[in-house]
Amino acid sequence: MKKTFNYILGIVFASALVVACTNDNVDPIDNSTNAVTLEFDNRVGAQKMTLGTGTYKNGSGEEFTLTTFNYFISNVALKKADGTVVKFPEQYFLIRQADPKTWMSKLTDVPAADYTEISFLIGVDSTRSVAGVDKRTGVLDELSYGDDGMAWSWNSGYIFVKLEGTSPVVPLNSAGKRAFAMHIGGYKGTANNLRTVTLPLKTQATVRKSISPTVHLVADFLKVFDGPNTIKLAETNSVHNPAVAGPIADNYVKMFVVDHVHND
Amino acid sequence: MIGLSLWLAAGCTPTDTAEPEVLFKVPANFPEPLYNFEANPITNDGFELGKALFYDPILSRDGSISCGECHSQPSGFTHHGHDLSHGIDNRKGTRNSLPVQNLAWESEFFWDGGVIDLDRVPIAPIENPVEMDEKGTNVLEKLRTSPRYPAMFKRAYGSEEITSAKFLKALSQFMLTLVSADSRYDKFVRNEGETLTPDESAGLTIFKQKCASCHAGELFTDRSYRNNGIAIQGDDEGRSRITANEADRNKFRVPSLRNVAVTGPYMHDGRFYTLDAVLDHYAEGVQDTPNLDLLLNQNGQRGIALTKDERRQVVAFLHTLTDDTFLKNRKFSQN
Repeated sequence: MKKTFNYILGIVFASALVVACTNDNVDPIDNSTNAVTLEFDNRVGAQKMTLGTGTYKNGSGEEFTLTTFNYFISNVALKKADGTVVKFPEQYFLIRQADPKTWMSKLTDVPAADYTEISFLIGVDSTRSVAGVDKRTGVLDELSYGDDGMAWSWNSGYIFVKLEGTSPVVPLNSAGKRAFAMHIGGYKGTANNLRTVTLPLKTQATVRKSISPTVHLVADFLKVFDGPNTIKLAETNSVHNPAVAGPIADNYVKMFVVDHVHND
Repeated sequence: MIGLSLWLAAGCTPTDTAEPEVLFKVPANFPEPLYNFEANPITNDGFELGKALFYDPILSRDGSISCGECHSQPSGFTHHGHDLSHGIDNRKGTRNSLPVQNLAWESEFFWDGGVIDLDRVPIAPIENPVEMDEKGTNVLEKLRTSPRYPAMFKRAYGSEEITSAKFLKALSQFMLTLVSADSRYDKFVRNEGETLTPDESAGLTIFKQKCASCHAGELFTDRSYRNNGIAIQGDDEGRSRITANEADRNKFRVPSLRNVAVTGPYMHDGRFYTLDAVLDHYAEGVQDTPNLDLLLNQNGQRGIALTKDERRQVVAFLHTLTDDTFLKNRKFSQN
């Protein structure tokens, strides 16, 4: 199948060399590439996620507000209608609820095709987690996070998902606040909290020279508490150790759905 | 060996008359280094930049404290006389600062081995609230707007652009040159005309029999993590903090013993002020705590059998590991 496809690609490419822009079909699957926008629409149940102001309630009836919600997305892969998979191992995204620009993450250099499935890793893969400083650029630059601190400097690891907020059920801390913080990372051994999300695209994403689709993903934050595991803030409000974060990762891996796909 | 020698003036042509200065070379009695020099070749300008950064308090939040503050050359680049090192606002750390020496032969860093790349070591003290308490973002911004650094980066890397990788690699270049291999012991084992006194010689023999299974080889460490039976004080769990493995609780890195006579106090929390106290611990003070090292608990006997005389001789030997050439080398000093 792939061979045939490459063959067709070759012909298309060759003819493009000889006579450019002679296709009368406006949307052929040619050898062009385009971007796919991954829209990360973070919500809390049926509510818009707002930091600092919104008050929400989890399945255990615990009220909370959120002050920080960040996560890494990497190793995006798109499956074509014919079953072949295109991988994007060099594109890393840091979604920060405080920065709307990051909600619309552009996956670039996507070959023209009809895509029926998307998968991605929540976190930074183990290979890049141990890579040298030359490979740590852009959102992986450990000296670029400012107060967001998306890496543990003392334990050589990225924080895959960082969520912080306050809740009346959390005991007062030394600063006089009822704050919770869950920093989830861990890429090795028994404390591997990398999780892969795989979602079908009911409407195919039809990448063409003239079509740059948007995959609108909704992430329901409540799944952090109410997934396969029930996490209660009264009991679990400070997580900084990969070894104990597994149940939370098993929850948030369920948080994403593809709401719809725009092909325009 | 030649390939690992990095020359001062990388661009020198053979017609240059001056002998290029070697910034890093593998001592004859050392094993091959572990650092990947190909990804970060040492140049004179990179070394000078790294040295400037090492001694510049600009790296700390309020400009009060440099790397060199807690890693002082005459003390083998440790914080002399401090059990726990003091950082910004005189905040106390939780561990005794380790020497910055022979780091090209290490692949894991700090008392618990939490950092696995020398290039990324500086991030920990920069961001630690009780050390420099600064954000990397701010450090780079301060360097970019400083009067001196853009030109220094240009000399080292050919462009004034200041990136995290260039910043960290320059610090590595300086730290990598801090090689200590000219102690009396080194000159003795390399047959360079040095002799040991009878006590030192006896100490070396005892050391090889009773200490060298952990403090192994010419770096005097097997790079492992062990519980050496010091009484549990405080809540520092050691290596298990990184591995999340209960079997690693109470284990800390076996440190190198080079320059050990000047790098006191000793242990991860600096609880022993003298080498005599350390030897007394191994002879008489080993506690049966969880995960006590098996080598310290053999045949129902805890600790290492050492008479008072033997302890004195071992300490005499340990003093031969002091490398005055290294400790006084002006090239590594703050200008």
